[in-house]
Amino acid sequence: MKHILSQIFHTGKFTMGFCIFMGILLLMVFYPLINPGDPLKIVSIGTFARPGTYISLYDAVDSRLNTLKLDEAPANRLESVLKMEDRVKMVMWFEAVEIPIGHLNIHDTEALLALWEEHYDSTVRPEGMTKADRNYFQRLDESLNRVLVTKEKILATRDASTAELQEIRAIEDTDYVNLKNVANVKRLPLGTDNFGRDVLKELVAAIRTSLVIGLIAGTIATLIGLTLGLISGFIGGIVDDIIMFVTNIFTVIPAFVLLILISYSIGQDQRGPTTVAVVIGMTAWVWTARAVRSQVISLRNRDHVNLSKLSGHNLFLIIVTDILPYIASYVVMALILQISGAILAEAQLSMLGLGPKTTEVPTLGLMMNWSMLYTAHLNGYWWAYFPVLLTIALISFSLNLMNTGLDQVFNPTLRD
Amino acid sequence: MKRKVVTVLLALAAFALFFSCKPKESNTAVAEVQKETEAPAADASSGTLPRNQTLYWAGLQWGSINGWNVLSDDMNNFNVSRQAYGTRITMFETLYMYNFLDGSLVPLIADGAPQWNAGKTEVTVKIKKAAKWSDGTPLTAEDVAYTYATAVKIGNTAGNSNKPYIAAVEAKDAQTVVIKAALDASGAAKNPLMLDNYLAVEYVAQKAWIQKLESRTGSDATKMKIDPAEDVVYSGPYGPYFADDQKVVLVRNDNYWGKDASMWGKLPAPKYVAHTIYADNAGGEVAFKSGEVDVSQQFNSNVQDLWLKDKLPISTYMSEAPYGICGSLPTAYFNMAIPGLDNVNVRKAIAMAVDYDAIIANAMTNQSPTFDQVPRSTMNPTPGEQALYDQKAVANLQWVGNDVAGANALLDKAGIKDTNGDGIRELNGQKLSFKASCPNGWTDWMAAIEIVAAAGEKIGIEITSVFPEWSVYQTVVTQAHQMEYEIFMMWSDGSSPTMPWNRVRQLMSSEYVGVEGNWSGNWGQYSNPKVDQIISAIPATTDPAKLKSLYTEANKIYLTDVPSFTLMYRPNCFHAVNESVWTNYPEDGDGQNIPPGDLIHGYSIAGLYTITPVK
Repeated sequence: MKHILSQIFHTGKFTMGFCIFMGILLLMVFYPLINPGDPLKIVSIGTFARPGTYISLYDAVDSRLNTLKLDEAPANRLESVLKMEDRVKMVMWFEAVEIPIGHLNIHDTEALLALWEEHYDSTVRPEGMTKADRNYFQRLDESLNRVLVTKEKILATRDASTAELQEIRAIEDTDYVNLKNVANVKRLPLGTDNFGRDVLKELVAAIRTSLVIGLIAGTIATLIGLTLGLISGFIGGIVDDIIMFVTNIFTVIPAFVLLILISYSIGQDQRGPTTVAVVIGMTAWVWTARAVRSQVISLRNRDHVNLSKLSGHNLFLIIVTDILPYIASYVVMALILQISGAILAEAQLSMLGLGPKTTEVPTLGLMMNWSMLYTAHLNGYWWAYFPVLLTIALISFSLNLMNTGLDQVFNPTLRD
Repeated sequence: MKRKVVTVLLALAAFALFFSCKPKESNTAVAEVQKETEAPAADASSGTLPRNQTLYWAGLQWGSINGWNVLSDDMNNFNVSRQAYGTRITMFETLYMYNFLDGSLVPLIADGAPQWNAGKTEVTVKIKKAAKWSDGTPLTAEDVAYTYATAVKIGNTAGNSNKPYIAAVEAKDAQTVVIKAALDASGAAKNPLMLDNYLAVEYVAQKAWIQKLESRTGSDATKMKIDPAEDVVYSGPYGPYFADDQKVVLVRNDNYWGKDASMWGKLPAPKYVAHTIYADNAGGEVAFKSGEVDVSQQFNSNVQDLWLKDKLPISTYMSEAPYGICGSLPTAYFNMAIPGLDNVNVRKAIAMAVDYDAIIANAMTNQSPTFDQVPRSTMNPTPGEQALYDQKAVANLQWVGNDVAGANALLDKAGIKDTNGDGIRELNGQKLSFKASCPNGWTDWMAAIEIVAAAGEKIGIEITSVFPEWSVYQTVVTQAHQMEYEIFMMWSDGSSPTMPWNRVRQLMSSEYVGVEGNWSGNWGQYSNPKVDQIISAIPATTDPAKLKSLYTEANKIYLTDVPSFTLMYRPNCFHAVNESVWTNYPEDGDGQNIPPGDLIHGYSIAGLYTITPVK
């Protein structure tokens, strides 16, 4: 056993696949400890909040303030609303309303802003200017006004009885807050999805569900395939014919079509993750059965099997003790591929809206499905689907790598 | 052997031929139109329309059209479509155009305002002298009367829906139409509102053409309704030009009567109006962003990103949220027959606990006013409808939502408590557990239902979401006594000349209780004789003060009994424009009073006369 293990871990492919897979497993186990709670909880109002760190403004204004005199601050502030393209657009506005700009250098912020302040009028509708452009200039003007006014901003509360505002604090443009002093800072490394759920948290929970689906489906498929393969290969004759007849029928019907039809007929309210896993397992056993059968056929006339038969061992015992150990390595490899296949199948089904029902648990496929329904791919909300895609790819890549690694160890024709 | 193979192959070929021919059959008519219209201009094939003379829509047409028959309900043609908030009048016209901004009727074929008689039992409409058909013959009162008579005779939607309320449409002379209301036992009009609705919604077809159709089909109602009408005569500014499964194109009729000073005084700006047929929303969205589509009736989630983030020349009617004029009220109905939901406290508690801000932010991406801005009632958020009830009188009944403490207190006070400690409350020993449903794939509704389900958890009521396919959903919801869906979403209609009366009716009228195939309303089977009285009283009421008190009373009952609860406001139609090719679209505050109805619904077609090419 030890020897086999060391042999296995000697193959680079297996080790690499194993490391990736373990990494995913560790993330799955430990991330919920760092960030506990319901993965389906809606944390942000609105769809697709960007990845990043969110600071509670409410708490920040109550935190201890430091005064930092930074020379670049006003310039940075201006830069955030007045980019190069905005400057070019401003010149376009001057031209549209026929204001002579003379030798204005658009890098000369002061001159540009002075001219803007003097002439811009949001009520003017320049001939031929689109509403989109007029809106743009209005927004630009508003944000410039906000940034250029360096007066303090007053915070106030409203008196409950008189409805009057009472000043509690004035905020200067030199006031800073240390992030550590703010009571509520929320990191959303992968932003939120269409429902406003924390994507990373959901992703980790989805990995767990998808792996469970993979495991259940893979086990079922492998068990069915193994049993049928063993029986048909070992017993042969009419039993073999019947089983192979059924297997061949399933071979010619594409498994995915079958999967779609069964999932559809089950109906959504009945489709939990386990049901979906069972359905996937029931449709994926075919190739395992065929492969096991052919291996068993080559095994069944070996001497030790005949010896067992002569000793009067029953069928079950012969299969378990004399045949199974010889194909065990193959079965394990088949199981790995089945798991990877089942995870992909779940993702495919869910993309079509035929996956598990949506509210109870997240799965990788459902996350993809919802981000597609909300056209995240068209609107650049990459965090809603790309990490999921990557995870699916990594899981199936790592499982396949492990499988190839095992193959190198156990397949005599590939052995170094 | 060889012979056998040949036979089999032949059989297969015949089989294939049969199936490949079949879909074409239904399209021959369209293809013929295409041939006919293609002949005069060689550049007519779809790809080569001059872009700067063509206005493209998206979100109005799915799948290829079946024809141009104005008497049919089944043309799947975006130009032949009656909508309560504004019938589409590119090709066929109505007597009046409905303006959902202020609820007014703007004369189109009609000349001046409709004249009611003293008893409000009949209304007289004058026809514009200038009005003409595309074949040059004048449009007369006779056409109006004959269209209605035919509609009733062949039993299309226009006929069936108006028949109970309109006794007759008569031509007094060539320029005068009299519409007589059906009368009730007391001799008053059954429902004068439905006559207003008729004036704005129903198309006028040419008598001569209808007669031609009758002689062609032997006056067979079914045949008349499925005729693709490639020879149809129309009165609108645009006529058929090209249609296949990729695109539908209409070309301007440069002899359009509306250029007369008594109507528009000019022709609409685009020479062609076209609709590319996209496979799905995503296809339309991509085309809209790239400027291939000018006016989009599709829901663009986070529409502001299109200009803020993507910096596209796209704008909406209003520059800030909610970006458009909301008219309809997507609503969750309680099935009153379900034990537990027959208890008003349970219903109200669920409705109070739901986080509507989250629904509006998530499902509508803020393209709806919040319930803080427009408190809930049976009214849509337009100022016209809001002014029709006394807001102060019902203020203490309205809830804003996300009031978990209030909902819990309400349930506790009513003695509905969790007695066995499983976290779920019981009523009469039964666990409060419900299923919330809406059709699968209707993403905004699905998101809303998810949020309703989440609210249940917070107040100790188990709500699980179920999303059946629409094909299943629609058959179950419209059944007389369905017990399958417990909390479920349906709509309540948007703006129309019969609103808000019709919405009150739709939300609460017991006339729909136990009706098989009920597409009209009150799907939760709520029944209250007091409301029924109000509903029957409103249409005949003309005194504004009386009307206001009736609406206020109806709202009091609605907000007290909570037979359903509105989840968000939604525009009658979505309206976003890409100004790559055309500009000067109607906008909020431009003083033109043109509604954001995609330049095709009712009076919004006026936008086709204001737009100009981008320089």
